[in-house]
Amino acid sequence: MTSVADEAARPGRVPLYDHARPLIDQTRAESSPRLLVLHTWVQTQRLLIRWGHDVQTVIQALILPSTFLVSINLVFGKPVSAVSGHSALYGSVPMAALVGAVFGSTASGICLMREREEGLLARFWVLPVHRASGLLSRLSAEVVRILASAVLVMCTGLVLGLRFEQGIPAALAWLAVPVTFGVAFSFLVTTLSLYLVNTMLAESMGIVVALLFFFSTGFVPLAQYPGWIQPVVEHQPMSYAVEAMRGLSLGGPVLWPMIETLLWSACIAVACVAPVVIGYRKASMR
Amino acid sequence: MTALTAVRPSPSTIRQWWVLTVRVIAPTLRNGELLIAISLSGVFTASYYVPLKQVMGAFVHGSYAQYLMPVIALQTVYFAAMSAALRSATDKVDGINRRFRSMPIPVMTPLAARMSGNVCRCAIALATAILWGYVIGFRFYRGAEYTIGFCLLVLLIGITMSFVGDLIGMVSKDPEATTYILLLPLLILGVLSVGIQPAEQFPGWIQPFVRSQFNSQFVDALRALAGDATGSAAWPNWSVIGPALAWLVGVGVIAVPLYGFVLRRRR
Repeated sequence: MTSVADEAARPGRVPLYDHARPLIDQTRAESSPRLLVLHTWVQTQRLLIRWGHDVQTVIQALILPSTFLVSINLVFGKPVSAVSGHSALYGSVPMAALVGAVFGSTASGICLMREREEGLLARFWVLPVHRASGLLSRLSAEVVRILASAVLVMCTGLVLGLRFEQGIPAALAWLAVPVTFGVAFSFLVTTLSLYLVNTMLAESMGIVVALLFFFSTGFVPLAQYPGWIQPVVEHQPMSYAVEAMRGLSLGGPVLWPMIETLLWSACIAVACVAPVVIGYRKASMR
Repeated sequence: MTALTAVRPSPSTIRQWWVLTVRVIAPTLRNGELLIAISLSGVFTASYYVPLKQVMGAFVHGSYAQYLMPVIALQTVYFAAMSAALRSATDKVDGINRRFRSMPIPVMTPLAARMSGNVCRCAIALATAILWGYVIGFRFYRGAEYTIGFCLLVLLIGITMSFVGDLIGMVSKDPEATTYILLLPLLILGVLSVGIQPAEQFPGWIQPFVRSQFNSQFVDALRALAGDATGSAAWPNWSVIGPALAWLVGVGVIAVPLYGFVLRRRR
């Protein structure tokens, strides 16, 4: 159904005209901002459909975080509530949402590796597709995935006994924390997936997530850690995110932990921007 | 012309087994898999011990390191079992198993070689776990024969789980997915046992499950074999060790015929 329109076959223009989809504006340059929006939208849909068909991604994004929350609550709910003075859920539900957000991106990282090996990325590189749309669509698809898993974790938490004492706007802000945090970490995971071999990605992310989880104030209160490690526990990104989310649900300081969470997220994302862009370019030109 | 009439070579099975075993073990030394396994075990030891020492210390008799060590040993050999699954799934997906079947190799030799690699891996896992255990303050308090019993039981559990892992790898289509299929239940069952805290700390309705599931039976047996400074650990008689062995025999009785079935179906 494609034909080459003579007058459109100028360098820098998209020369293909698809009669099946006449709405696509073929006169615009491949790098035009309007095509960026359009292509990002199309590729986001593509990724979400692809992830939806992949059992591993679905399990990791939707089932794993809630299962994690339920088992953490079963095992540590009673002893941790006893030492922290309030329900352990105010720490463990944010933990589950954050761990789900971070660990879930390994599945999409593996998906990216597969697309590189299959040559799909290279295929997009030679087609008139806006080149920034590949990475941007990955980010927007991550936002959708993290939001879905955070909402599920939130509902599980509500069933288990979590209550939002600060009202609905605070609950919405509560959801925004794992999204911010997860998007920053997906920069890191994408970087790793562009430079590491397949099996190492899941394992090294497993170690990172385990350390972030076990040494954070969402697991047990800060005072339970030995003195020498307390500064590390207090200032690591996940503790700040948990504290912000605890403040938004139970009550307590919100502003400072929120600022720190944003700072950490921004630092991780900024540190990874250049390697991601270079790595993605390399992966596409293999 | 001689090629057509040449006698069929009759290679030695022992040598084939050795070559295939080296093929399994050598890459783990080279690609850093072993290094990751050792550090993973250290991460888990620190992750359970450091935050929970004070929280759980109140509910546990004696030192928490002594209490925690069996579950660390179990998790470490479970990671070995997971890598067994990953390896067998990779072998299957890459088609090397088909290749072996087209060559004059007995059916059981690749499996035997993989299992030898797994035994090796489990032994390293055990040594790592004991090393990390000693770092946090775990000690063996009974005689040498019980210490050997401890090591043998951990190895036996590791080998059984690796066999199950190998079986799961054989039927899976996706090596990475296999790891997740195993990781989740093993981690969740690991913490839903008496390995980290006494059963009384769990909600009432789940306590019967926590007490009788296989991890708790393994942990009870290992704890008895390791002993305790305060003498509060149970004496390792058959009523403590028996259930753990029964679980292993039970898993074997189900897994071995299943493996035979899978091998025959794939020929």
